[in-house]
Amino acid sequence: MADHRRPRRRGQGELEVQVLSALREADGPATAGWVQERLGGDLAYTTVVTILTRLLAKGVVTRERAGRSFAWTPVSDQAGLAAHKMRRLLDGESDREAVLASFVTSLEPDDERLLRDLLEQAKDEGEV
Amino acid sequence: MGVFVFLPLVLPLTAWPVARLAEQHLHPRAATRLVTAVAGVMALCSTVCLGLLMVVGTAQLPGNPLPDGWSDPEVREAVPYDEVAGKAAIPALIAVAAVCGRTLGRHTRVRRRAHRALAGLPVTEVAVLPDAVPYVYALPGDGRSRDRIVVTTALLTGLRPAERRALFAHERAHLAARHHRFLLVARLAAGANPFLRPLATAVAYTTERWADEEAARVLGDRRGVARAVGRAALVARATPVPTLAGFATPGPVPRRVAALLGPAPVPARGWPPGFTAVGMAVWTAAAGTAVSAMSSANSAVTMVLILHAATPL
Repeated sequence: MADHRRPRRRGQGELEVQVLSALREADGPATAGWVQERLGGDLAYTTVVTILTRLLAKGVVTRERAGRSFAWTPVSDQAGLAAHKMRRLLDGESDREAVLASFVTSLEPDDERLLRDLLEQAKDEGEV
Repeated sequence: MGVFVFLPLVLPLTAWPVARLAEQHLHPRAATRLVTAVAGVMALCSTVCLGLLMVVGTAQLPGNPLPDGWSDPEVREAVPYDEVAGKAAIPALIAVAAVCGRTLGRHTRVRRRAHRALAGLPVTEVAVLPDAVPYVYALPGDGRSRDRIVVTTALLTGLRPAERRALFAHERAHLAARHHRFLLVARLAAGANPFLRPLATAVAYTTERWADEEAARVLGDRRGVARAVGRAALVARATPVPTLAGFATPGPVPRRVAALLGPAPVPARGWPPGFTAVGMAVWTAAAGTAVSAMSSANSAVTMVLILHAATPL
């Protein structure tokens, strides 16, 4: 099953970053073929299109019809992609608080009322 | 050994009072260290005893790896010979290994993946992510990556500049004091013995309090940090994270804000006085830990001696 000539398997995220940074180097919209060429051609055309489509689903790129194919434009920057990946990571962890100590945890409705009272009190005393 | 081998399994109960009281009555730094240490030692002892129980109880099952001399009547006299406990200890040990392995695996995996997600960004202390979901956390570095504070634009825009400073001071305190290690030890302990779960919850709370107090000390403004915690919680409330609902006590955030609005905790010198509630709780936990350590050491030594005597070498 496994293709042994293949170099180490790249993670999906890694390819997405590569394709997105290639796209960002383009002046204006670029075609999948341009991206493939830009990446040195070791990716199949269909792989590039697959990744672009995945990025489109994530809202990271947009596309418009240009003749028979699509022209692709990046929407968000590197930070946007990082934000997207981080969200995917956090949403995937059922028990994220176990891993990453967060500044605040969720609030119960009673907590929210209590908290507003406390903040009100802090404000009053601060101003007196 | 006798009954001693069972003691460390239930002695974590003696630490429940301190898990409850330390967060209110001790300085959060002292409380975190104390509760984590108690949890770690008790978890270790409980696991050792589980292992000993298994060795003893399974000695007469066919196919066990013990020497034949182990089945001699004299040896059986000397050890608590209880096959039921021994057989029960096998799945218990497997469960402990599975839970702790999963906790450890998840910890390293999430840290690695979080660093990888930030790989394309400039290597700054604070990574600001454009995201409509407000969150912030401290991401401890590993060998290759530095410590990061990850915060989203949604949270930052919801806070005033002074509150942002408090937020960053809080996260820096988490990173500087390596709070993730305390949290990891406490969670592993809770995985090793379910009776230690309240201690893990207590450590999760006291590390937050510790970082709050450190931020208040750095900024010289307890009230400002209280406001930052409260307002960040209100900004972030739109994204509930699944938790156990239905506790009658106020949640951790209002307790933290209330604690910050109160007087600063005094770092304790030595033990708290014996005749206060928290003093009693600390002594109870300390005694429980000591008995736990002695019982498991006693059982382990006995086991080694018997094994040595029973082995014809």
